[in-house]
Amino acid sequence: MISADVLIIGAGPAGLQAAIHAARKKVSVVLVGKTENSALAGTHIENYLGIPGKADGSEILRVGSGQAEGFGCRMLRENVISAARKDGGFEIMTENDTAIKARAVILATGISRVKLGVPGEKELFGKGVSYCAACDGNFYKGKTVAIIGGETESAASAELMTAYASKVYWVAKDIAASERMIRKAADAGAETVRASAKAIIGEDKVTALELDDGTVLSLDGVFIELGARSSADLAMDLDVMPEMDDSIKVDSSCFTGTDGIYACGDVTGKPWQLAKAVGQGAVAGTSAAEWVRNNVSE
Amino acid sequence: MSVIEVTDASFDGFVGAKYAVVDCWAPWCGPCRRIAPIIEKLAEISAGEIAVGKLLVDSNPATSRKYNITAIPTILVFKNGKLEGQIVGLNPGLTAESLKDTVLEM
Repeated sequence: MISADVLIIGAGPAGLQAAIHAARKKVSVVLVGKTENSALAGTHIENYLGIPGKADGSEILRVGSGQAEGFGCRMLRENVISAARKDGGFEIMTENDTAIKARAVILATGISRVKLGVPGEKELFGKGVSYCAACDGNFYKGKTVAIIGGETESAASAELMTAYASKVYWVAKDIAASERMIRKAADAGAETVRASAKAIIGEDKVTALELDDGTVLSLDGVFIELGARSSADLAMDLDVMPEMDDSIKVDSSCFTGTDGIYACGDVTGKPWQLAKAVGQGAVAGTSAAEWVRNNVSE
Repeated sequence: MSVIEVTDASFDGFVGAKYAVVDCWAPWCGPCRRIAPIIEKLAEISAGEIAVGKLLVDSNPATSRKYNITAIPTILVFKNGKLEGQIVGLNPGLTAESLKDTVLEM
């Protein structure tokens, strides 16, 4: 069990800046997340104050991670799979089964791509296409389904669906989930198919999934589970109700309205800009550290 | 006016009203929890005009099968017992007021 005064979920610019500001307030800080999942990774920035030309987003994240660690933040490069309130604080579980106990939490999860963008997806939503295995698994008892996505949420969903469906394909070209989660899905009976989805086929309901290698899988349901556990789901685990567009409302101190929980960066809504993420990160890190210092007795 | 719990047994009678809305949900469904306040507000602002109910899909499979529900939340909209509309999933623009207008314009 790891303990922290302030736990930050998300390793993008908002989370890293929050880590720097919280750590400088002399509280213990743990950050959980993968920098490569940040929207900044792989992009170029030319509208950030003081950085001329086109700055490499991945390099900003790499340097920022080093700065956060330099100020004493502990970094865990993995995804969070669940969060809960516990013993007056919070407990977070990661994909490697690491439990982290925290007094305050900063949600800096960014926005994740939810839609796959393939033919048939929009037309067959609610007719065999689903974005929530936990919600809709029960409708597929004894049926054949595919889970699409290569990150932790798809692995968890593939494992979950083996409890309902008679056959579960886990369709992913590249798999970034932890070895532990891959093994759990395989042990439960999910069959891994290393390909990308090309089209979802069906008239009034889903009947098949076409893959980029030409294979066509006959099935009844397609669950699209891209990325890590969504910020909206994590927020609800912690009693923070997201807006209908999945953003999390905060006040000027980045406080969510739920004691001990702050949010910053793209997850708080538009504009989705580096400058805003960094600014809110500084505010959220400071606010969370001050809240811990003012409200938690040793 | 509060939201009425509807079951497989009471469903046909409930949706026989001039206008009826049924929110098909489950407690473990995150998006369903976010729709719930909209449904509650709809019941408040449309009292006497629209019968507003919620159906637990897990314990009422017959209705889920009858209306081919495979994703929740699904909001079913009825006029004089006939299904007139079906809203699946979270729609960021959905409000109790817009839902009320949609139903009463059917």
